Amino acid sequence: MKATLIVRRYDPESGKPPYDQTYTVAVGESEVVLDALIKIREEQDGSLALRCSCRSAICGSCAMNMNGHPGLACKTKVAALSPHGEPVQVGPGGNLPVIKDLVVDMGPFWSKVRQVTPWLRPGAPPPANEEYRVPNERMLDLSGMMACIMCGACVMACTVLEAEQGQGGKPDEGFLGPAALAKALRFVGDPRDGTSRERLEALMGGGGIWDCTHCFECVQRCPKGVAPMDRILELRRRAVDAGFTDHNGVRHAQAFVDSIRKHGQLDENYLARKSVTFGELFQMMPVALRMLLAGKMPPMFPHNLPGDSREDVKRIFEAMEEEKPA
Amino acid sequence: MRGSRLPPAGGVPRIAPLSGPADGRLAILQHDVLVIGAGLAGMRAAIEAQRNGADVAVISKVHPVRSHSNAAQGGINAALGRVEGDTWEVHAEDTVKGSDWLGDQDSIEIMARDAGENILELEHMGVVFNRDKDGRLAVRSFGGASKQRTFFVADFTGQAMLHVLYEQLLKSGVRIYEEWFVTSLIVENGTCGGVVALEIRTGRVEAIRAKAVILCVGGIGRVYEPSTNALICTGDGIAQAYRVGAPVMDMEMIQYHPTTLKSNGALITEGARGEGATLVNSKGERFLSNPRYGTTNKMELASRDVISRAEQIEINEGRGVDGCVLLDCRHLGEKLIREKLSQIREMGLDFANVDIVKAPIPIRPGMHYIMGGIKTDSEGQTKVPGLYAAGECACVSVHGANRLGANSLLDTIVFGRRSGAHAAKAAKGMSLPAVPETRADLDRKHIEELKARRGGEPSARIRLEMGRLMNDRVSVFRDKAGLEGALEKLRELKSRGKRISLTDRGTVFNTDLIFALELDFMLDVAETIVASALFRAESRGAHTRMDFPKRDDEKWLKHTLASWTPDGPKMDTLPVTITRWPPKERKY
Amino acid sequence: MKFAWFPGCVSRGACRELYASVKAVAPILGLELTEMTEAACTGAGVISEHSPGVADALNARTFAMAQKMGLPVMNNCSTCMGVMAGVQARLGGDGTALGRVNGVLKAEALEYKPPVRVTNFLWVLVEDVGLEKLKSLVKRPLRGVRLGPFYGCYILRPEANLGFGEKPERGKYLEQVIAACGGDPVDYEGKDKCCGFPILTMNRKNSLSMAGDHLLEARGNGAHGLVTPCPLCHLNLDAQQPDAAKVKGQRIDLPILHLPQLVGLALGLEPKDLGLGKHIVSTRPLLDRAGVGG
Repeated sequence: MKATLIVRRYDPESGKPPYDQTYTVAVGESEVVLDALIKIREEQDGSLALRCSCRSAICGSCAMNMNGHPGLACKTKVAALSPHGEPVQVGPGGNLPVIKDLVVDMGPFWSKVRQVTPWLRPGAPPPANEEYRVPNERMLDLSGMMACIMCGACVMACTVLEAEQGQGGKPDEGFLGPAALAKALRFVGDPRDGTSRERLEALMGGGGIWDCTHCFECVQRCPKGVAPMDRILELRRRAVDAGFTDHNGVRHAQAFVDSIRKHGQLDENYLARKSVTFGELFQMMPVALRMLLAGKMPPMFPHNLPGDSREDVKRIFEAMEEEKPA
Repeated sequence: MRGSRLPPAGGVPRIAPLSGPADGRLAILQHDVLVIGAGLAGMRAAIEAQRNGADVAVISKVHPVRSHSNAAQGGINAALGRVEGDTWEVHAEDTVKGSDWLGDQDSIEIMARDAGENILELEHMGVVFNRDKDGRLAVRSFGGASKQRTFFVADFTGQAMLHVLYEQLLKSGVRIYEEWFVTSLIVENGTCGGVVALEIRTGRVEAIRAKAVILCVGGIGRVYEPSTNALICTGDGIAQAYRVGAPVMDMEMIQYHPTTLKSNGALITEGARGEGATLVNSKGERFLSNPRYGTTNKMELASRDVISRAEQIEINEGRGVDGCVLLDCRHLGEKLIREKLSQIREMGLDFANVDIVKAPIPIRPGMHYIMGGIKTDSEGQTKVPGLYAAGECACVSVHGANRLGANSLLDTIVFGRRSGAHAAKAAKGMSLPAVPETRADLDRKHIEELKARRGGEPSARIRLEMGRLMNDRVSVFRDKAGLEGALEKLRELKSRGKRISLTDRGTVFNTDLIFALELDFMLDVAETIVASALFRAESRGAHTRMDFPKRDDEKWLKHTLASWTPDGPKMDTLPVTITRWPPKERKY
Repeated sequence: MKFAWFPGCVSRGACRELYASVKAVAPILGLELTEMTEAACTGAGVISEHSPGVADALNARTFAMAQKMGLPVMNNCSTCMGVMAGVQARLGGDGTALGRVNGVLKAEALEYKPPVRVTNFLWVLVEDVGLEKLKSLVKRPLRGVRLGPFYGCYILRPEANLGFGEKPERGKYLEQVIAACGGDPVDYEGKDKCCGFPILTMNRKNSLSMAGDHLLEARGNGAHGLVTPCPLCHLNLDAQQPDAAKVKGQRIDLPILHLPQLVGLALGLEPKDLGLGKHIVSTRPLLDRAGVGG
């Protein structure tokens, strides 16, 4: 079939802003966007710049935006993006500076990875002449994170990074982002590492685990099933378990949990009060006032479940709360 | 266009943070040890060289974790005594037999003996090897091995190791020249004194001086089309070494992997067969039980050359399925596939529309690996003083005429480490070799000429012609007429290669230029492969000559050696080192 | 079309106009809703962060109740939808997690036997009521009203949990419903991004900036208002809009409709019955444009 690709191009030496160029290329049914781009490069336009290498979703070079969402060009079928022959839009991934055409500067990406001290720090010298003894389940869990190929698709999709850069933030500052944080759990969760507490403590601050907005973009876009957001939530759980609780994120979660435990339903007033520090409560006064005036203030006495149900909910908490994931 | 809410923030290329004079010119770039390539061999060499006190830098045309070591799926071999009766000697013997007795047994002994220690060290660095029920390192079966001794991380062992070595490289603080393309090796007065390299992002060309240069540049897969290899595997460094007087050895020994996908040549790990997957033809027969193939004992776990030959015969004789045979994993069950073969399941779905849990997957032999390479000793030293090589680009030789699965990762680690240590020690007592100040100008001039040339063919056309020619004439089965024709055609391609021209004449991230430079190197590599294949008049390991179908130990228990001359490769032979395993008949 | 209706906490708290408007439009659309008054909160992703086991059990309890009623579950909140779908996926594995959960539910004589159909008001409009039927019921087409869809993350991602394999159009339903109601859907990038609500108390600036970016982008593309199936998004886009405007340094004034409010207007219901006066950002300009009196 014939595919039409609209490629966002940019040549930093031309002095011109980015522009779109349309190419038409023959592709097979199971061919991927990278096949189409390589054909364009080989047969039509040798000046098209992109990174690619392995063609089998393992080297992580070819993450880019396709129809507005980042993914690996070598793993995304043209037919899936263009079931009825619609033009496919191809552009550089977001949240990273563009160098040329589809090539972005991965520098900020790596600088954030470096910020999580991405190497094993054993607590003691390794065992002599043998391996560390570790249950296979722990290793399988870690290999789920090691499956990350550092392609950057999650970072390109991250809505928090987008918001920060929309406010003028620099790509190598602010939120550490999904890839670096998933990498952090790879060490926090490694029984061979002796510095889990230090690592967790470092992640409690600004730009750390509590800045994730839970939008599932990284989970959806990750081409390797690493599910970075789930890893961030796991880090939060581990941080709380390790006793790091001085954060609005923790207060919010505790208040939420308390409310459900008690009422089976959410008490929004309680949640709002308990989720912030005393000083921040003042910031919220105008919102509260506005809501009151509009008749939107949540009821002072929250909607409760019937008594039996509240008992049932309590029982669930008692039975299940202690069960920590491995 | 969606996804372009924010304008590109990186308008002007940012100069990489190099310390230099305030006027923006670079400081003189120099190191004790310069490692070219940042795959497993390169990073392991760099880490070891630094441990030995050297000032080390790594230079790579791609970011380290993009290196092709990623693609090694199945595992890494070591006789750590996981299975009764396994010792390093048994591992060495298996390797010798796998090599069809062309491997040098002194080097094979070193590799097998050092294997265990190296794997434990990797584990201590943080590689997340799969475990057994006691929490110890688990092993799986692999082709050509008489005992289970393959350690693994699911089916992405190479990636898991590569990322951990990158972690260690970051920890070490070794300087990384990332996305710099080496254009030539500097050899003055017969000694290697560094490289000239192009920073892809800015287009600047600089000389980087060093007391020792270690080539860890990987394989040559793109000389073939198709190949399991990544697009970066273009053998640049092999050609560069060859041109400065380091001979290449056993270049005819090209491994065709038995299980590659038809659609894009991608690799399905031997680990699948290690876990019990079977090979069947169109009639549903496990054809490896046919005595003609010499595989009745080990069946799917015979050596790669043997199985690829059998598959090709099945296909040629009409028992294939659309140019393939079938790999059947169904009986392994979804749980095992999820835990140990997840990545290839993904690849089957992505690239062949087959879920290996539910259906057999069509596969065929595909170009995968070169056993030959730059001739080195067991410390990685080439014939050129100061120039080392390790990993796939080198020929120590531990793989001989056929490499066993899961010995390539081991090769990178063992010999990467040895060359790093040797180079660092050698550099200690040395001063930097003298290099003329204008040395980089030669390469700058070459690039400017290339950019200025008009009206020629694009490099891709010649590369694809070369690749198809090689896959057609220099594959599983070869003969004199085909090879001679290939040599003639290659010479034509070489002369056309001198006249190519570029579409992109810019300086920033000019991949068109990189591909043109790579093509020039690949054509030299191709020529040595064909010349060596023509030279070896016997069949051994991966090299099957239809016109010389038997192994001929009398005449050819020898390495082939190709040296650069202006008129093409000059062929020679070298004896094979036999320590304790004299040649025998090879059956699996 | 009978459903066990799970209204969720927020529609009985800060967004009571959502509860009212679902109730108001259901009979006209032919939906028979039995409200699940005993079902607990889904946990909104916060409980599962704290303890996945608790979240699984709370939702399995809701599913089991619906199964006892012999009805599919319908919620009216993207977040509830996503959490329920996530629990369905987790409890659909090898049975270990399900066994533990059912062990706890035994005490109240409940058992969750997967699968159960869990859907939401948006999907019901398209998949059960049907767009043609909806069109035929429209009494007051919102001609000339340009509306931007705002989905909410949980109803879109991860697609694997949310049936996008079988129904890939689920990412376009809002536009389809807006069009069926006679309005003009406005395209903009923010439509499927995060409203910022989950980090409101943790990183207020980023949270408000997210809301502000999407609101301004939609307005810039000509929207007269947004429509959302998620009350949590509504809180950040409507109740927090004045603060988002401050963070972005621009006036926004973009009214945000709950999905059933849009449907109710098109069906000819009165703004009062749909709680359209209970918004922070006045819906009046939008109503005027639609020719709806006061």
